[in-house]
Amino acid sequence: MNIVVAMKQIPDLQQIRIRNRQPVFEDVPLTLGPIDKNALEAAVAIKEQLEAQVTVLSAGDENVEDTVKEALAAGADQCYLVLDDALKNAESSVTAEVLAAALKQMEDKPDLILFGEGSGDNYSGQVGSRVAAILDLPQVGYASAIEVGEGKAVVTRSLENCEEVVEVTLPAVVTVIAGINEPRIPSVSQILKAGRKPKEIVEPDELNLDLENAKTDTLSNLAPETQRKRVVVKSVDELIQALTSEALIGR
Amino acid sequence: MSEVLGLKEKLGRNVFKHSEHRHINIKEGREKDPQLKKAVLVCPAGLYSVNDNGEVELTIDGCLECGTCRLACGPELLEWNYPDGGAGVQFRFG
Amino acid sequence: MIIVGGGLSGLAAAYTLAQEGLEVLVLERGDYSGAKNVTGGRLYVNPVRELFPDLWKKAPFERFIAHEQVVMMAKERSVTIDYSGSELAVEPYQSYSILRAKFDRWLAKQAERKGAMLVTKNRVDDVIMENGRVIGVWAGGEELRSDVVIACDGVLSFTAEKAGLRKPGRANDYAVGYKEIIELPLEVIEARFNLEGNEGAARLFMGEVTQGMFGGGFLYTNKESISLGVVVGIHDLMQGEVAAPELIDLFKQRPEIRRLIKDGNTAEYSGHAIPEGGLKAMGKLFGDGILVAGDAAGMAMNIGITVRGMEYALASGYIAAQAYLKARERQDYSAASLSVYQKLLDESFIMKDFNSFKDAPQVLENPRFFNYYPEMVGDMMKEIYEVPNGPKKKIFPTVKSRLKFGELMAMAGDLRKVMKI
Repeated sequence: MNIVVAMKQIPDLQQIRIRNRQPVFEDVPLTLGPIDKNALEAAVAIKEQLEAQVTVLSAGDENVEDTVKEALAAGADQCYLVLDDALKNAESSVTAEVLAAALKQMEDKPDLILFGEGSGDNYSGQVGSRVAAILDLPQVGYASAIEVGEGKAVVTRSLENCEEVVEVTLPAVVTVIAGINEPRIPSVSQILKAGRKPKEIVEPDELNLDLENAKTDTLSNLAPETQRKRVVVKSVDELIQALTSEALIGR
Repeated sequence: MSEVLGLKEKLGRNVFKHSEHRHINIKEGREKDPQLKKAVLVCPAGLYSVNDNGEVELTIDGCLECGTCRLACGPELLEWNYPDGGAGVQFRFG
Repeated sequence: MIIVGGGLSGLAAAYTLAQEGLEVLVLERGDYSGAKNVTGGRLYVNPVRELFPDLWKKAPFERFIAHEQVVMMAKERSVTIDYSGSELAVEPYQSYSILRAKFDRWLAKQAERKGAMLVTKNRVDDVIMENGRVIGVWAGGEELRSDVVIACDGVLSFTAEKAGLRKPGRANDYAVGYKEIIELPLEVIEARFNLEGNEGAARLFMGEVTQGMFGGGFLYTNKESISLGVVVGIHDLMQGEVAAPELIDLFKQRPEIRRLIKDGNTAEYSGHAIPEGGLKAMGKLFGDGILVAGDAAGMAMNIGITVRGMEYALASGYIAAQAYLKARERQDYSAASLSVYQKLLDESFIMKDFNSFKDAPQVLENPRFFNYYPEMVGDMMKEIYEVPNGPKKKIFPTVKSRLKFGELMAMAGDLRKVMKI
């Protein structure tokens, strides 16, 4: 069984500062999306029960080659990377095209393709569904448990007020939620082995892709302006009164 | 800005990664030790304070991991370790 | 080969060993090298330039220091000595302001390029001993074995402590340094400090900044920020005049400082203990299967005007690597074999400096340097410069009145001690 986990390289969000209302990305360390790590953990858990091979699939700039080591240390067997500077901040439709093309290209046909429900940075939550559509595969979202059987998977979907259990034939795309598991922390020796695991690196040309046709364009990305009311209070009573009049307490 | 900031505000400018454990603990029964009160003076992050009962308390959030309290109070009073790997303060400038 | 700690000494050792084609593993507890490291601000390159000849061209320095100032800060006034010789602005520059999170991360990359393995986010929990010799470390619940462990784990060095090479540090032998990074636009920094291009300024402050306690204030210009902070002896701080956080705030409010940082944005507040006990406070630097380098070995020195540590860290890491290579030739990692480390250190500038300045810590403990002299110099300047309403007193008698016999004797005593440095 071949499991592919699609993972996105993102900046370490805690390290981003705001300067003049703009996020500062300079020198911010890179990591993989937190929910993507849940998807990887789900794949590794399946692998530990069944005969399975886990491949990490990622598209981005050349830093991905280094960033992906984290996933290889955490249990993936190999990785397949599409690298190009133009993919650094690619929007969802472009990323989906790239990943779908890569999945088609893979020698070992994937049986199960896992995504995090949304990326760690933009959380558009589109790429999984788009890939499923392009490849004409069934998709199950909000997965909180996955059980793989012969040619099928039973997936528990965690919805707002209920749990839904569905059966899906493989190959299929499953997008998981953060609550599905607790990703393991790799040991030092696993981290050391990660560097030696097989890597396949391709460029977008090799997949016959044209990266020009982005469907959305980010016009601005600003931190919200915070307006302080600058209300001066002289006593607790005044404070209570002020907070009540702002409907912040006593509702 | 860069007028005097409160300590909380100052520490708020730093990146702190969450840790499951408190990496420094005051040894049981030593909370009122006069030597421990020195920690209140030396900690650049102002994390030590004396409560109404005269016991020294330690807030671990905001620890700069500078080691000063261990040097001032010693292992007799403080169970001192660095936070787990990948946890605690992560300086962006240093 | 395992190196505990991916700071300057650890990375210098890793870089050197990887260059020789050896397998090196560096364990770093931070998210990246430099994540747990703090400098006041400056690296002197001369002593280590030759040890890493390929390294300096692309190093991420902030500014080269072309303006050196010492400020004697009295309560109401201050007197500044400014040294900006043209020799300071000629390449190769002798010192640069740096920021450790940037510098160490870059150095780690260089070591990795040479083939060293760096594992971050992993704390070493313990040292594994067998029959009194170090045979590896515990990290992340795993036993990692090594011929030799190089302890480069900083000022508290639990690795050296657990291996029995040192005792827990005492307040007397350490200072604490803490600082704010204050961001300002490049042009503002150049204008306020009278800088051209990539020139930088370094200012040390003594006197009122530490309220008479052992230590001083410092200010270094980076590219687009200022490192502003205080170093103060932990033992003095414990005496209870003022709490550490307050000291830096009072410093920031001084008129001399306030205008330099006006409209700046504090981007970080950091702190670190600093070994300042000199030769007398150094632990044992080698044992069976272990070497100790950098701050872990107590290799930092304060001789008043220059405060140094990072060069010693880089050089001792390099020398530890050389010592390991020699022991490896013999396939003997016993303390006797590794004692070549001490020999190499003794021959290097490191131990020569530590021997030359072995009296500095005791001499500088003299509170008169941090209290009496700054006030006296300030007062004298006031009287010399003051033009009163009415006749001005003669200058020499004014100066003389401050320097009575007893005072001169005390000063001569201080001077005699200073002459040991």
